[in-house]
Amino acid sequence: MRTGFHSTMRTAGTVAAMEWRLEWRQGHQLASVGLFALSSVYVAFQAASRDLPPDAWTAMLWLVYLFSGFTAVGRLFDRERSDTRRYLQWTVDPLGLMLGKLAHAILTTTGLSAIVLCGFLLFLGWPAGDSDRTGLVILATWLGGLSMTTTLVFVAAVASQVKAGGSALGAILGLPLLIPQLILATRMTLGALEDTPWPMLEEIPLFLMALSAGTGVIACILFPYIWRA
Amino acid sequence: MSNWNILWKFGGILLLAYVILRGFCTPLQPGLVEATPDRLGPGPATLELMAVGRPFAEEGSSLEGYRLILRSGTDLITTNLTGVSPHGVQAEATIPDRLPSPALDAFLLPPSSGTLFLGNAFFVEGAATGTIPVELASKAPDETIPDLGFSFPFQPNIMESIRNLLWHVPMWFAMFFVMGIGFVASLMQLRTDAVNWDHRAEAAVRTGLVFGILGLATGSLWARWTWGAWWVSDPQLNGALVTVLLYTGYLILRAAMGEDERVGRIAAVYNVFAFVMLVILLMVLPRYTDSLHPGKDGNPGFNSYDLDNSLRAVFYPAVIGWGALCYWMYTLRLRINRMEHRLLTQ
Repeated sequence: MRTGFHSTMRTAGTVAAMEWRLEWRQGHQLASVGLFALSSVYVAFQAASRDLPPDAWTAMLWLVYLFSGFTAVGRLFDRERSDTRRYLQWTVDPLGLMLGKLAHAILTTTGLSAIVLCGFLLFLGWPAGDSDRTGLVILATWLGGLSMTTTLVFVAAVASQVKAGGSALGAILGLPLLIPQLILATRMTLGALEDTPWPMLEEIPLFLMALSAGTGVIACILFPYIWRA
Repeated sequence: MSNWNILWKFGGILLLAYVILRGFCTPLQPGLVEATPDRLGPGPATLELMAVGRPFAEEGSSLEGYRLILRSGTDLITTNLTGVSPHGVQAEATIPDRLPSPALDAFLLPPSSGTLFLGNAFFVEGAATGTIPVELASKAPDETIPDLGFSFPFQPNIMESIRNLLWHVPMWFAMFFVMGIGFVASLMQLRTDAVNWDHRAEAAVRTGLVFGILGLATGSLWARWTWGAWWVSDPQLNGALVTVLLYTGYLILRAAMGEDERVGRIAAVYNVFAFVMLVILLMVLPRYTDSLHPGKDGNPGFNSYDLDNSLRAVFYPAVIGWGALCYWMYTLRLRINRMEHRLLTQ
């Protein structure tokens, strides 16, 4: 196994590309996440009327996004449960593997946020009141999704070590960990929709980025210990 | 060594006994809580102010040395005290028909125990805006050095519940302390893979969780009294709840892994992550956001001006006492873990 910056980065790239290719070939997994997201949006659309107040709109958006994120990221380490794991364990640099998985998960949730947002705009439309800060809503969704992803990747890695019921455990461990990120993300989304002045919001993106970076870095530091356990 | 053990354990218990006795038996400094009538018109008025805390006067004591002054804006209005009792004062005053501000603050100056203040005690309706006539004005009181005795400070809204400071705050300190032990133990577990460190980490998290839940419960009681609700959405409270949930997750993770021999390592990884989140959630994030919780400007605990010397004399022993009790509980749990391990591996 080679370590060092360049070969770690190369491993990360290979892992991310491999993950993506596998997902693409086993199309049902990508499709299942998209299906979950879109049908949740449709349920939200059936339950609520158009011209929702901004807070209800935000709550629904984030609930749909959160649970879609769980289905997308929660099974990230499923493939490594089997015997291939024993092979990878001796051949792949764990840091590179983690970085590759993180990159793949961030790409997936970015796509997911696009699907959920477009689904919301298609079915539910913008919430009542005319805010034209589309960019800020997209930024809030993406940054919230980013910090959600880094935490979920770590939780999925831990939960994959549990022999029975790992995916349920991922949800149990993940939800409390995501509360702070969700509070910040919903506050930012709501602020964007309600035309809250930017100076009152400008700290939230920084917090979200700091949380993402922090959880991502801890996950990378700790992952080798999980991997070799 | 065993002498030292006896010393800190019983020392801690003695400190806690002192804290509970002192904490509940020390009187509160007197403070004004209620004014009647709350609405006044210009002209003569009879005023009554209710006080709580340590009595500042005896039943039927003379009015010598007592003064009650009302303040409107920066102008002072004189009053005539007619009665003083341990539970309050009565006074007569002439409310001027011109006032800088319709809201009147009350200052009661007893001869010994410091100034008692009630903001917005009375509200005057039907008075014009302007400076008050000279004949109704009061001269500013002299500076006096109060003799308060050993008593806890009177804070509006908090009042008698200030005693909770000796429970709520040290319980969180104890939790930080023992979770810190767990963090170090988990780091050592990752370095050495020795089962001994895993026992320490598990015992620490379990004990810390007890103190975290106690901290939430005492905080909730306090919130009900001072803010009017059992729970409010607030950065500090969110962080505290998430921390307790996180560490519950640690125990769930251990339980889910069962007899798996990798449990020590995986749990240690989770515990290190949880402690970093604890520091972020309880010590970093609340400093940058607005909060109801005291001492928000750069300090998520309390400000030094909230503590006076009599409160310090009980608060610091409380911190040490709860810390010692917490550490004792941790050592007991550690022994149970070791015994269980010995039984299972025999």
